[in-house]
Amino acid sequence: MTDFTTATRLLTAEEEAPATKVRGYWQNVGYRLRYDYVTLAFAVVIVLIIAMAVFAPWIAPKDPYKTSMAFRLRPVGFRDFYLGTDELGRDILSRLIHGGRMSLLMGVVPVVFATLIGGFLGVLAGFIGGKLNMAIMRTMDVFYAFPSILLAVAISGAMGGGMANGMVALTLVFIPPLCRISETATTQVRGLDFVEAARASGGSTASIIATHILGNVLGPIFIYASGLVSVSILIASGLSFLGLGVEPPHPDWGLMLSTLRQSIYVNPIVCALPGVMIFVTSLAFNMVSDGLRQAMDVRL
Amino acid sequence: MPHHLKTSRAYTTRLAAGFALALSAATLPNVPPAQAQTTLRVAMTAGDIPDVTGQPDQGFEGYRFVGYTLYDSLILWDLSRSDVEASLTPGLATKWTIDPKDSRRWIFELRKDVKFHDGSDFNADVVLWNISRLTDDKVPHFNAKQYAAMRTRTVNIDRAEKIDDHTIAIITKEPDSLFYIQMSFWMMISKAQFEKAGSYEKYAQMPSGTGPYRFAGMVPRERLELTRNETYWNPKRIPKHDRLVLQPMPEATTRAAALLSGQVDFIEAPSPDTIARLKSSGMQVLTLPYPHNWHYQFNFVDGPFKDKRVRQAANYAMDRGEMVEMLNGLAQEGYGTVPPSSPYFGKPVLYKLDPKKATALLKEAKCHPCEVTLAISTSGSGQMQPLPMNELVKAQLEAVGFKVKLEEMDWNALLDVTFKGREKFPAYHAVNVSRATQDPFSGIFRFVMRKQWAPAGGNWGHYENPEIEKLITEIYNTFDQAKRDAMITRVHEIMNDDAAMLFVTHDLNPRALSPKVKGFVQAQSWFQDLTPITVGTTN
Amino acid sequence: MWYYIARRIAYAIPIAIGVTVFCFALVFLAPGNPVQMLLPADASQEVVDLIMKTYGFDRPLPVQYWTWLMRAVVGDLGVSIQSNRPVIDEVLRALANTVFLSFGAVMLAFSIAFVLGTLAAYYRGSATDRGVTALSIVGVSIPNYWLGIVLVIIFAVELNWLPATGMGPGGSETFDLFNWSHFKHVILPIITLCMVPVGMITRTTRSAVSEVLGNEFVNTLRAKGLDELAVIRHALKNAMPQILAVMGLQFGYLMGGSILVETIFNWPGTGFLLNKAILTRDIPVLQGTILILALVFVVTNLIVDLFQTAVDPRIKRS
Repeated sequence: MTDFTTATRLLTAEEEAPATKVRGYWQNVGYRLRYDYVTLAFAVVIVLIIAMAVFAPWIAPKDPYKTSMAFRLRPVGFRDFYLGTDELGRDILSRLIHGGRMSLLMGVVPVVFATLIGGFLGVLAGFIGGKLNMAIMRTMDVFYAFPSILLAVAISGAMGGGMANGMVALTLVFIPPLCRISETATTQVRGLDFVEAARASGGSTASIIATHILGNVLGPIFIYASGLVSVSILIASGLSFLGLGVEPPHPDWGLMLSTLRQSIYVNPIVCALPGVMIFVTSLAFNMVSDGLRQAMDVRL
Repeated sequence: MPHHLKTSRAYTTRLAAGFALALSAATLPNVPPAQAQTTLRVAMTAGDIPDVTGQPDQGFEGYRFVGYTLYDSLILWDLSRSDVEASLTPGLATKWTIDPKDSRRWIFELRKDVKFHDGSDFNADVVLWNISRLTDDKVPHFNAKQYAAMRTRTVNIDRAEKIDDHTIAIITKEPDSLFYIQMSFWMMISKAQFEKAGSYEKYAQMPSGTGPYRFAGMVPRERLELTRNETYWNPKRIPKHDRLVLQPMPEATTRAAALLSGQVDFIEAPSPDTIARLKSSGMQVLTLPYPHNWHYQFNFVDGPFKDKRVRQAANYAMDRGEMVEMLNGLAQEGYGTVPPSSPYFGKPVLYKLDPKKATALLKEAKCHPCEVTLAISTSGSGQMQPLPMNELVKAQLEAVGFKVKLEEMDWNALLDVTFKGREKFPAYHAVNVSRATQDPFSGIFRFVMRKQWAPAGGNWGHYENPEIEKLITEIYNTFDQAKRDAMITRVHEIMNDDAAMLFVTHDLNPRALSPKVKGFVQAQSWFQDLTPITVGTTN
Repeated sequence: MWYYIARRIAYAIPIAIGVTVFCFALVFLAPGNPVQMLLPADASQEVVDLIMKTYGFDRPLPVQYWTWLMRAVVGDLGVSIQSNRPVIDEVLRALANTVFLSFGAVMLAFSIAFVLGTLAAYYRGSATDRGVTALSIVGVSIPNYWLGIVLVIIFAVELNWLPATGMGPGGSETFDLFNWSHFKHVILPIITLCMVPVGMITRTTRSAVSEVLGNEFVNTLRAKGLDELAVIRHALKNAMPQILAVMGLQFGYLMGGSILVETIFNWPGTGFLLNKAILTRDIPVLQGTILILALVFVVTNLIVDLFQTAVDPRIKRS
């Protein structure tokens, strides 16, 4: 088993070599990942969770919305309700399976949008510089003044909750760090010889960004964004938990956790299940992101 | 290995010392615990301490715990017995009558020798000052927030006048034989204390009333402490415990946990699912009918419910026993807008479960399957357990041939729907907003009067019935109570004849008490008298 | 260096102004009428207007902002729509409780993470190291609101050892850390809250200490016969600024991020206040709490930054 330390040592060796050959670098990353069994194992977990969410209607044994007043709050293993039922007699297992859809959606979509928007703003600020850079980066600094959960809660709390508002809030929360990372990366690359050369030879701004900058900026952004997915899932479930995210009756892990908490005295084990799902998903994304970071990052 | 531990211990010790320092700075000085005093600690469902400056907020729970403890109104509720629905009883007014020469002029004789907690006298001037507090936006002690909350009760007041030091008159704009009931919600605060404070903000830190408890201190959002008023004007109601501590705990689970772990002695509204656990831990779980109605108001203009047969079918479809069972006995079957224990219940048509008749009625009305959309909330004060309950209603309706769509929304959104009325929301065929029904107007009239058509009032679905209109007009002009009550009962019966609502259940006002708590007499009311309670030191 | 400090402080000012604009703008985000919660369901337009006027919501927005800001500067954050109490009083009272909780959690996290991180760094590559690294990732991945619930199930509901909610038998005002019946209320919230900082501080400690241990001079020291204890002490001394910086940042994050944990434990702090304000749509309290928390965060970051500048020779040189 390749542990993180070995990966790091590989990286340190890598750092010595000039990282100009893009293809060689990605090959290296692939090579490292292939032997990082921990990361691979968690990647499989992610694939399974995503597959579970995507194929939920075919996998779930029951209809997640089907209520049954006769079978409320049943314990794990009651008849064919393998994980028990909730306060409306709905099948917990089916709701957990379907819940992955909402939770992943709320976890991943904001990161994607924030990556696109933040990445774009960062490249713009970094490449053009000057006043525009000032304007963009100082605005971002303001949002940096809020801890992420606080910012998400403030925005979605003021807007009045709901899944769409929650996703907007999360997107806004993640734009500043991504913007800062892409700005830093762009600024670094901008000063490098080959970009100067491209400029001197009359390349257009767009083509320079497309060919030279993006190739070097995408890596750090991608690493950072992959780490954000876990954070995003945690905060999104937290918003739903506070009643600011997904609305009932839709199954969502955070929301399920919050409603099942009311029956903590009847069914404590069932009550804890949605949290296990959030935990496993967030852990898997974190582990994989960590593996990626080690495989891709030149510095640890 | 031990080396590292040593190093880290040195750091930890130093930092722990810093921690302790920071703490002493962060917390306030300790108050020594009261010795040999008995304290009743209550967990309320409210999210915050209700307003202590007069008219409480946080719904009737605010009146229950802050209103009628710190303050008195001219007329009070008799909360001393469990066997009948609570009725009105003299409070700061010993007697109230309608002027025999003027059916708009109410005369209140005030109680003598009553003093506020600050020592100032209660008299006619104070009452007039209190009336202007909620009616006249020109006076400095006008309270806009409380004015807004009291508007429906004060809207008929034309003016008030002093007759002598202990008699006042209130003149209404229209004759209103039920006006006196509104005065039972009007808290009398101390004019002297308010003037000393200068503003409601300051007064909130030193409120003074005439009630059985004095204000002792408050930590906003955490606790309100009251102490016994030894000199309360009604010696029977001088509290039998020294202190009353009220804590807001909006979550049912939290309240149950607090009671079980001995943090409080008395909790409001334990959820049905916690009852078994509370009982098995020796807690007393009390239930009693009170004027509360959990029902649906129909849309009488759009959709299938404009047909009386469909309304009847829905009522016949209700298996109310199953509902009570699901709620672990914390509710009673509902057959009318007021519970059977109400003096206005009468002998109405009762829609007992009859699925065959329901289906037959639907077929007769040519609505089978009958598609209906019900607007419901996910939570809310008085809504009980809205989601499971609505799911059960849905299942029961569908069993007889309805096809039900539940439109779930946030409590405020549902209130908005209810407030704006059916015109703005033609797609909703019924709304599920539970109501307090403690007087004839709030319990009966507002749902069926033409004048109350939303957005003007509580008649969401625009119900209209000429016979009811006629009766209500007469009621407002009848000052003989027996005659009036008979007519009110008749209105209630007509509502049932017409199946004017989908009657489902009445809440049973559950509360759970620690075994240490003795002497509590639960009243059939939204309000409760805590004064007779004694708290033992041991179980 | 003084120049750097002055610049750093000056730099924080526009951010603080931006923060106030954002907090004020929260009112725009709110749909509907800001005083809706105050009004009875059947309030007439006349009543609505009167209430809007009473709370100043009828004036043009820039005027509202300016008035709000000028008052905020002198510590007047307005009055809670719900309770009519001054927002600043409510926020400061809650802030003390949250500071206490966050500080406790960071300290507990530090005690754990310091040991774990140092162990991992010292035994780099070993099973211990892998275990610690995995643990630190678990710490940052665990939904703490869930952990809180699980702890309540185990220690309050099932075992009945520790209280489930609140801040001691007499609430926050009479809280006494050195009294067991009070102290036991703190245990579960602090454990719950310390998970993320444990993860973060462990990681930082591990990488900072191992960085120092990997340096040439350590080998030199060792060759000179310095014992291992001294080597580690030396490494820690060098790594400390970085660790303390992360602690400071974590403290700031907890201040803002404790809303879920405070809600679960009914802990009367800013998160709890914020949640109440959201539920009751009490915009002045929402604004005020977020403003104060953000300013605390800005100041914490500033202090961490200045501290690092003061102790880290590398920054000083540059």
